[in-house]
Amino acid sequence: MSVNLAQETVSYAPAEGALSSFWLLIALPLVSAALLLLLGRRADRWGHFLGCLSVGVAFVLGLVYFFTLRGLEESSAELTLFSFMPVSELQVDVNLLYDPLSSVFVLLITGVGFLIHVYSIGYMAHDPGRRRFFAYLNLFVAAMLLLVLGGNYVMTFIGWEGVGLASYLLIAFWYDRPAAATAGKKAFLMNRVGDVGFLLAIFLMFATLGSVDFEDVFNGVPTLSEGTVLAIGLLLLLGACGKSGQFPLQAWLPDAMEGPTPVSALIHAATMVTAGVYLIARSHEIFSANETAQTVVVSVGAITLLIGCIIGCAKDDIKRVLAYSTVSQIGYMFLAVGLGGAAYALGIMHLLTHGFFKAGLFLGAGSVMHGMNDQTNIRRFGGLFRYMPITAVTFGLGYLAIIGIPPLAGYFSKDPIIAAAFARHGWTGWLFGGIALLGAGLTAFYMTRLFVLTFLGPKRWTEDITHPHESPATMTVPMILLAIGSVASGFLLSLGLVDYLTPSLGPETEVEHGPLSHLTVTLLTVGVSVIGAALAYLLFRRGTALEEQPARSPLVRAARANLYADTFNETVFELPGRLLTRALVYFDNRGIDGLVNGLAAGIGGGSSRLRRLQTGFVRSYALTILSGALVVTAALMAVTFGS
Amino acid sequence: MEELHLPPIDYAAIAPLLLVFGAGCVGVLVEAFVPRAWRYRVQVPLLLAGLVAALIALISVADKRVSTAGGALAIDGPALFLQGGLVALGIVSVLLIAERRVERGGAFVAQASVVAGTDSDRRQSSQPGATEVYPLTAFALGGMMLFCAANDLVTMFVALEVFSLPLYLLCALARRRRLLSQEASVKYFLLGAFSSAFFLYGVALLYGFAGTMSFTGLREAAAEAGSEDTLLFLGIAMLSVGLLFKAAMVPFHVWTPDVYQGAPTPVTGMMAACTKLAAFGGILRVFTVGFADINLDWEPILIAVAIATMLVGAVMAVTQTDIKRLLAYSSIANAGYVFTGVLALSEEGVAGTMFYLVAYGFTVLAAFAVVTLVRDADGEATHLSRWAGLGRRSPLFAGLFTVLMLAFAGIPLTSGFTSKFAVFSAALGADQVTLVIVGLISSAVLAFPYLRVVVLMYLSEPAEDTPTVSLPGVFTSLALVIGLVATIGLGVVPGPVLELAEQASSFIG
Amino acid sequence: MADVTTGEQIVFWILAPVALGGAIGMVAARNAVHSALFLVCTMLSLGVFYVVQAGAFIGVVQVIVYTGAIMMLFLFVLMLVGRDASDSLIEVLRGQRMAAIVLGIGFAGLTATGLARGLGEVETEGLEAVNAVGNVPAIAAELFTHYVFAFEITSALLITAALGAMVLAHIERRKGERLTQRERSRARFAPGNYPAPKAGPGVFATSDSVATPALLPDRTIAERSLTDVVRIRELTAAEARPKGTDRR
Repeated sequence: MSVNLAQETVSYAPAEGALSSFWLLIALPLVSAALLLLLGRRADRWGHFLGCLSVGVAFVLGLVYFFTLRGLEESSAELTLFSFMPVSELQVDVNLLYDPLSSVFVLLITGVGFLIHVYSIGYMAHDPGRRRFFAYLNLFVAAMLLLVLGGNYVMTFIGWEGVGLASYLLIAFWYDRPAAATAGKKAFLMNRVGDVGFLLAIFLMFATLGSVDFEDVFNGVPTLSEGTVLAIGLLLLLGACGKSGQFPLQAWLPDAMEGPTPVSALIHAATMVTAGVYLIARSHEIFSANETAQTVVVSVGAITLLIGCIIGCAKDDIKRVLAYSTVSQIGYMFLAVGLGGAAYALGIMHLLTHGFFKAGLFLGAGSVMHGMNDQTNIRRFGGLFRYMPITAVTFGLGYLAIIGIPPLAGYFSKDPIIAAAFARHGWTGWLFGGIALLGAGLTAFYMTRLFVLTFLGPKRWTEDITHPHESPATMTVPMILLAIGSVASGFLLSLGLVDYLTPSLGPETEVEHGPLSHLTVTLLTVGVSVIGAALAYLLFRRGTALEEQPARSPLVRAARANLYADTFNETVFELPGRLLTRALVYFDNRGIDGLVNGLAAGIGGGSSRLRRLQTGFVRSYALTILSGALVVTAALMAVTFGS
Repeated sequence: MEELHLPPIDYAAIAPLLLVFGAGCVGVLVEAFVPRAWRYRVQVPLLLAGLVAALIALISVADKRVSTAGGALAIDGPALFLQGGLVALGIVSVLLIAERRVERGGAFVAQASVVAGTDSDRRQSSQPGATEVYPLTAFALGGMMLFCAANDLVTMFVALEVFSLPLYLLCALARRRRLLSQEASVKYFLLGAFSSAFFLYGVALLYGFAGTMSFTGLREAAAEAGSEDTLLFLGIAMLSVGLLFKAAMVPFHVWTPDVYQGAPTPVTGMMAACTKLAAFGGILRVFTVGFADINLDWEPILIAVAIATMLVGAVMAVTQTDIKRLLAYSSIANAGYVFTGVLALSEEGVAGTMFYLVAYGFTVLAAFAVVTLVRDADGEATHLSRWAGLGRRSPLFAGLFTVLMLAFAGIPLTSGFTSKFAVFSAALGADQVTLVIVGLISSAVLAFPYLRVVVLMYLSEPAEDTPTVSLPGVFTSLALVIGLVATIGLGVVPGPVLELAEQASSFIG
Repeated sequence: MADVTTGEQIVFWILAPVALGGAIGMVAARNAVHSALFLVCTMLSLGVFYVVQAGAFIGVVQVIVYTGAIMMLFLFVLMLVGRDASDSLIEVLRGQRMAAIVLGIGFAGLTATGLARGLGEVETEGLEAVNAVGNVPAIAAELFTHYVFAFEITSALLITAALGAMVLAHIERRKGERLTQRERSRARFAPGNYPAPKAGPGVFATSDSVATPALLPDRTIAERSLTDVVRIRELTAAEARPKGTDRR
């Protein structure tokens, strides 16, 4: 895509050369998933290798395409596979778009995806449903790649629904556990709310612009009225919130941790939940055109990041703490993409580094659970450093990265976001910057609490655990690789990512300097983080109570109850919903049902009456045919005689 | 008297036809000379090879647009497309017919002449089924292919009989519920003969009018005549009755439920897919070539027939309790939708109709394939109450059947949606608004019985005696996979086939 | 009907009622054989019509094939199966017969009106040209040029018909089930079996009732001559007493 400021038109170059085959990226995992599902038990012995191989090859291809794209001038490649029903106005092509934004997502999805696939070989080794698990994982990777490679909103939506389906299947993978099944349904339903928003946005685009192609939509934005752009933007945001677990639709994400840990790492930390960020970054032409929409995005991000941090401090379940930390980190990304301009790239950069360290943290958590009989309560861990050194070191690096200690990845990605927030004009800059800064301190606090309670301090294990063990190599190697990523990715990405993404996200604008200089912000951030971490270390280095203590402060109680998000949902959405439903049911029973039932009864009655003509006697059938012939003949005779 | 010269025959163009008929003839010889134990193993590969060869031959002559054999055959776009569809659907049908794993010995009786219910009938219950069905199938398919290509009334009538006669026979050969099967066959035969009489009388009258049998000659003669020529219109009426009977349009549909229910399920599938396709192929040619230039004051009666078909089929499907009868009524309603495309009387309509026929054929074959699998001790459990709770027993097949039902109901991303869209948009293009509205209403009504089956399968508790779904053999699995892939493929990527249909939508002559 | 000769008219008006009556009689007759014979009447009349209308070939074919071959086969089969009129002809469907008659007459009336209108003014055209080389060669020319494909493909119809007859009517017996002539002969002369024809009832008897057993040359009763239905028993004294008619 090249952005010409003079004409402000967006156009994508057609795919040529090596890039013309980039549909393979999607096809590989999809074929693998289909094979695994279709072959059934026959593939039990080698299915997981096929699953890994397909994603690994996709990663290699992703690298090839990445470097091919770097060598191109146009820095975009559009591939129209075929047109779905070329009938009249409904012109929806099945086309794919490969540009810098997609390319980094492809590398993240296939790269982290591949590591997590490898990890799963070990993690799911004793599970009878391992082949099914890999099939779903492959399905997820294919759908996610379709999401980021789709060349129009409909394709993105199909990928969007695909990852939703895969996520549902994987959360409820252990469907015999009621909690898992319920969590799966919860995720599915809350995602639907967001999806409706996305779908309405697509309808709105089609209604106003007559197209859903990125190209046409972006070029058409200036012709739209302010209100329409705002409506499209907010609807897209609703979709993004659902998928990314943002306020007010964040409640499903922590529950989704009922799924196997690799799933949490891949889908609910590194990739799928960032789809919302992708959607907003991809639609930056829409959001940049409307300041109100941007402000809403920033607010959503700020609120969410704070909510995530606060609840994260109060949770005892290792995976839920990480889940809330995901919620809050994605809040940072929303904050960034909402700020607009250069911050789009910052959001994407944080997304990438987050992909590394959060996946690493989740895999570490999985490794701990693996060694501790699948327990998750951090109050009953402690002193695991000696027993699982590799896990502890890799987890520790991820932990340092997430709290933003220089020179690890989080520092390079989170710090600029906070600086950019402060740079926002007026008092809002102080507000959002302050929230982001507070979030950094809280993050340091709860992550330190998590790390200390798990790996340091005295052992507080339950009786049945005698000797926790380090995980096998298939699990540790991916963790090590991700830890390396958590250390190095930030610095590497900070070198050129912003420039690289320019064609996709618009030209870099000069970052305004806010009231605080960048250096001040950096010092503040690091300082706040260190204070938070030190506080937590001092509080928890001697361990903690084995059971949750009754909380005195209302804040702790609120945080433990997920800041009453479920209660909130129940009262705000469910109760009126239920009342509305009841009213509708009443109306339905009396009014519509009466009508429908009457109609149905009418049809049924008509059907029964007609059935009587179907006597089963061939002579009465012949009579029917004769009467038909008589009618046809009479009609034709009438035509001839009449003329 | 001068010497007779055989008219030039383009053998390449009719090679597909000859291959299928040839496979049938060789099949008869196999019946005569190959030992009984070997016949099945020879017949099935022979017939499949014949059909595949015909498909290859069709592809290689895909660009031909000729009228050959003295003008008796028109090998043009629609003929080739429909023949291709017939052969492809025929292959799937043959796969179902050849299945012998699901039921010991296959779906066909070993000796149809043994009186049903006697000792010797019980003795033959485990013997392998009659292998005569394969040549009969070949002749039926060949006749249908000929019917789509016939360019004069005589050839068309001969083709009609060539494909009807084997179907009458195949209907009578069910292994289980033999009396029902024989009754179905007799009904089909008697009513078929009845309608053939109409057809033939129509042919005679049209010849009397035009002095020629060929469609082009008929059109030329009709173009000169005004709307006052009684012979022409009487002929059209009679001919239409014969054609509409084969396509199972109301009120000439009465045979359909009984015959579909009684016939062996693979044969039912073939009738629903192939016969319907062939019948509409003939109708398309007659209406767009033969009657093209006739004034259309009489079109309202055809519209009335289409409307009646859509409504009666949908409404009757609502109260059915037998899955085969339900599918039979659904096929009647679908005939109405197809006819909507025909009545557009445009190339777009022809393309839509042909696409619809092929897409519907694959779906309906897969649906009947699932029906063959749901069995209890007495054979297929076709009563709907027996399907309750099937979703719990065998989620895979229930899921598969659900997809097919959704395709019938016309949910987007299935072939059902695309094909309905194609015919209805063609009809709209020809200003047939009434037809489209009625079609949509009918689709809505028809969705109800489909969804009822789905609900029944999933939301009911399985009873003690809920039948099991037999593990399909290779043939049925293959048929199911082809049907499913086509159903979804033509829903997601309809472009290429639609385009092919559009390219093939103009008749010659 | 301009150029219809008087002779043709006379033939038509005589045979048309016969053809129509035959057709109605076929449907209405209670006896299957009568139905078949009525149909023969109709077909013969039609054959004559064809000949009269200068279609000599089709007329002859009609007589030879339909009446000669097909109808005779019908009759053979009917006789073999037994002309049992046990099928009930009572119509159970209410209104069926009435509706059939009304619709039939309506349809016939409609068609007849249409035909009368359509053919009222028509002149015969091209008949001489077609029959110039003779009726049979003309038909042959059509069959082997224009309709050669239809003609050839009819063979598929015939094969199907033959195959169908075999499938529906022929019972194959395995080697074990079917007795060869040799086996039958052996069984016939095997000990314990009586190879000669059975004695008919009433031989050397005083009565020709089937209930009276045959007497063998030694005046003993031949049990074999009686059907199984009739039991052999001694007469009571009253029955054995000479009756008044029995004077000898």
